[in-house]
Amino acid sequence: MNEQKTPLIRLAKRDSMEPWKVWCIRGSSFLAAILLGGLIFLLMGNNPIAAYGTIISGSLGKNTAIRQTVKLAIPLLGTALAIAPCFKMRFWNIGAEGQITAGALAASYFALFWYDKMPPLLLLTVMCVSGAIAGGLWALIPAFFKAKWNTNETLFTLMMNYIIIGIVKWLQGGPWEGRPGSQIIPMFDSAAVLPKVFGVHCGWIIVLVMTVLMYIYMRYSKQGYEIAVIGESENTARYAGMNVGRIIMRTMFLSGGICGIVGFIVASGANGTLYDGVAAGVGFTAITVAWLAQLNPFAMIGISGLLAVLEKGADTLQTRMAVPASISDIITGIFLFCMLGCEFFINYQMIFRGKHKEVA
Amino acid sequence: MKKFLALLLSLVMVLSLAACGGDKGSDTPDTTGEPTETEEPAAKTVKVGLICIGDENDQGYTYNFIRGKEAATTALAAKGINVEWVVKYNIGEDSTCEDANIELAEEGCQLIINNSYGFEPFMLKVVDDYPDVQFIACTNQGSWNDGKDNTHNAFANIYEGRYLAGIVAGMKMQEMIDNGDITADQAVIGYVGAYSFAEVISGFTAYYLGAKSVCPSATMKVQFVGSWSDATEEGNAAAALADLGCVMISQHSDNTSPATTAQSRGVFHTGYNNDMISVAPEASLVSTRIDWSYYFEYAIEAVANGEAFDQDWCHGMDMGAVVLTDLNEDIAAPGTAEKLAEVEAALADGSLQVFDTSTFTIGGETLTNAFALDTDGDFTPDAEEAVFDGAFHESYFQSAPYFALQIDGIEWLNSAF
Repeated sequence: MNEQKTPLIRLAKRDSMEPWKVWCIRGSSFLAAILLGGLIFLLMGNNPIAAYGTIISGSLGKNTAIRQTVKLAIPLLGTALAIAPCFKMRFWNIGAEGQITAGALAASYFALFWYDKMPPLLLLTVMCVSGAIAGGLWALIPAFFKAKWNTNETLFTLMMNYIIIGIVKWLQGGPWEGRPGSQIIPMFDSAAVLPKVFGVHCGWIIVLVMTVLMYIYMRYSKQGYEIAVIGESENTARYAGMNVGRIIMRTMFLSGGICGIVGFIVASGANGTLYDGVAAGVGFTAITVAWLAQLNPFAMIGISGLLAVLEKGADTLQTRMAVPASISDIITGIFLFCMLGCEFFINYQMIFRGKHKEVA
Repeated sequence: MKKFLALLLSLVMVLSLAACGGDKGSDTPDTTGEPTETEEPAAKTVKVGLICIGDENDQGYTYNFIRGKEAATTALAAKGINVEWVVKYNIGEDSTCEDANIELAEEGCQLIINNSYGFEPFMLKVVDDYPDVQFIACTNQGSWNDGKDNTHNAFANIYEGRYLAGIVAGMKMQEMIDNGDITADQAVIGYVGAYSFAEVISGFTAYYLGAKSVCPSATMKVQFVGSWSDATEEGNAAAALADLGCVMISQHSDNTSPATTAQSRGVFHTGYNNDMISVAPEASLVSTRIDWSYYFEYAIEAVANGEAFDQDWCHGMDMGAVVLTDLNEDIAAPGTAEKLAEVEAALADGSLQVFDTSTFTIGGETLTNAFALDTDGDFTPDAEEAVFDGAFHESYFQSAPYFALQIDGIEWLNSAF
C-alpha cells in the first residue's frame, strides 16, 4: 500500500485479549475518569480530594445515606435487568421509561381505588401483577408491529414513552386529581405502600431475586438460548426452526413486565403516589447500566450501585460545598464516557502507519 | 507488550483530548456557583434549609423567595442571629423533594423551608423521622392541622395586593373609556392563570373586584395554561387574550412573557412576583408580590430562641408581607397613587373587605354561604362558614386560599387544567 495514502491510525477489530489486559484498560480508564473529574473540581475552586471524600461519605457515610443510595439503585438495577434480554436479542427497547410508567399507572389504580376492598398483602400482590401486565402489554405493542410488519422498534418504543406519560398527565389533572386544580394525585393509603426492610422499601429484595432469576433465564433456559441465537443471527434462528416473531413478542412482554414491576416498586415504595415523571429518566440510564455490565445481571448490581453512589454523593456535594447541580451531571458524564469508551479499546485495536505486517 | 503500552498511551491521548473539552464545559457553571456566606460568628447561629422548585433565574417565583431569604438574613444579623443557609435549587414536586428534605435534615438544618405547593406531601413523609427539625410548606395547607408539632404552613394575603393591582388596571381602563379610546363594554381584562386552582381563582377574583370597583363596566376572560412556569405558553395565552379584544393583561404564572406580549400587542399589563416595568416599560403598570422576609425572620428567630411559632401563618398588608411594586407613573391613570393610598388605608382598618358580598354575584344571586375548609379529605369544603359580616373571609380559617367560586363577569375560556 502506498505509504502516503495510509491514514496515521487505522482501526481493526480485535480478536481477543487476555483478561488481565482487559482489566488493566478498565482500571486505567476508571483512574482517568477520577483524574478528569478531579480536574473539574479543581477548576471550580474545590479541593478534589475533599470533593471525592464528600461523594463517598455523602452516599455511604451514614446508615441514612446508604438507604438513600440503595433507593436510587433499585430502579436502575431492575430496569437494566428488564432490557437485558431485549438487547441480547438486538431488539433496541428504549421504551423502558414508558413501560415503567405503564406499570406504575396500573399499580396506582389499585392503590387508589381498591385499597379498602382487600387485605394489604393481596393488594400489593395485585398491584405488582397488574403493573407487570400493564408494562408487558405496553411493550408488546411495538413488538407485535416489529414481528408482523418489521417496523423500527427504536422509534416505536421511544414514541410509546410520550403517549403513556401524556396519559398520566391527563389523569393527574383530570379523573385522579386530588385538590381541584392542584394537578396532584393524592398519596396512597398506607396499605398500598411497600413495607420497609432495613429502612428501605422491600423493592431491593424483589430486584435482587429478579437478578438471580434473570441470570438463570439467560444462561440456562431454552428461551434464553433462543434469544442469544436471534441476537447473533436471525436467519440462523429461522433455519433452526425458531418462530422469530413469537420470540420477539415473548421477550418484549417479559422485558416490559419487569419494567412494570419496577414501576410498581417506584410508585408504591419510593413515591407513594403517581406522577408523570415517575420513571425519572431511569429507563434511559438503565441502558448504560446494561451495556456497561455487558448484559451480565450480577455485574449490573455493581454498576447500578456505582451510579447511585455518584448521584447521591453529588447531591451531598451540592449541599455541603455549594457546587452547582450541573457539575454532578458533568462528573457522572465523565465516568460514563470513560467507562464506555474503554470498551472501544478492548474491542478494537489501532494500527499506526508504517507497520506493514498484520498485528496479531 | 510494546504494542500494549502504545495502546495505553493512545488511551491517555484520547482522554486528555476529552479533558480539554471538559475544561471548556466547566467554565459556565463556575460562575453560577452560589457564593458562600461568610459572616462574623454571632451569638446564635441557625442552620436553615431552603428547597426551591426553580432557581433565581426565573425572575419570578423562586427569585422572590431568594430576595426574602436575603432580606431576612440582613434583618436577623442586626438582631445578633446568624443564619447559615443551605439552598437546594430545581427540586421537582416528586420523591426528589423527599430526598432533599432528608438530605438537609441530615446536614443539621434546624429549619427546612419547602417553597412550592407540591412539595408538602413528600415533606410530610419525612417529618416524623426528625422531630427536632421544624418543617415549613409554603402555600400549602396540610401541615398545620396534621396533628404534628414540627410542621407549618405559611402564605400571605396576596389577594389584597391583587385587589390593589386591579384598582390600578381599572383606573387605566376607565381613563381609556373617558378619553373615548374604547367603549365601556370594551373594558375587558385578560388573565393568564396557571391552573383552575383555589389560589389562582381567589387571586383573579380579587383582581377583578378591584378593577370593577373603579371601572364598573369591566369584565374579564381567564385563560389557563396548565403550568406554573411555561414562558412560551404564558406568552401564547396573553397573545390569544389580546386577540380576543382584552385591553389589559394580568397573570398568575411565573414568567415575564405575558408582560412582553402585552407590550408587543399594544395593551397594558399588571404583574406578579416581580417588578416587570423593566421588561415592558410601555405596558406594565404595576406588580404585586409576597415579601417572604417577614415570615422568614419571624420563623428563624423563633427557632434561634427555641420558641414555638405559628403552625399556620398568614399576614398581608398589615405587616408588609404583601407589597405593590413601584407604580409606572408614566402610563398609569392620573390620581392612581392617591386612590391606592386611600384603599390601602381602608383595607388596613377593616372598613373595606375585598370579597364584600354586595360587590359580586354568582349566577345572578348574592353569595350567602360557602364553606372554607375540607375536613374529610374529599377535597370539597365542608366546614367553617366563610361568609359572615357581609363578606367572604379569605385566608381567615387557614393560610392557603380557599375562594374557588366562579363569579359573574369572569368568563373561563378553558378549565381543563
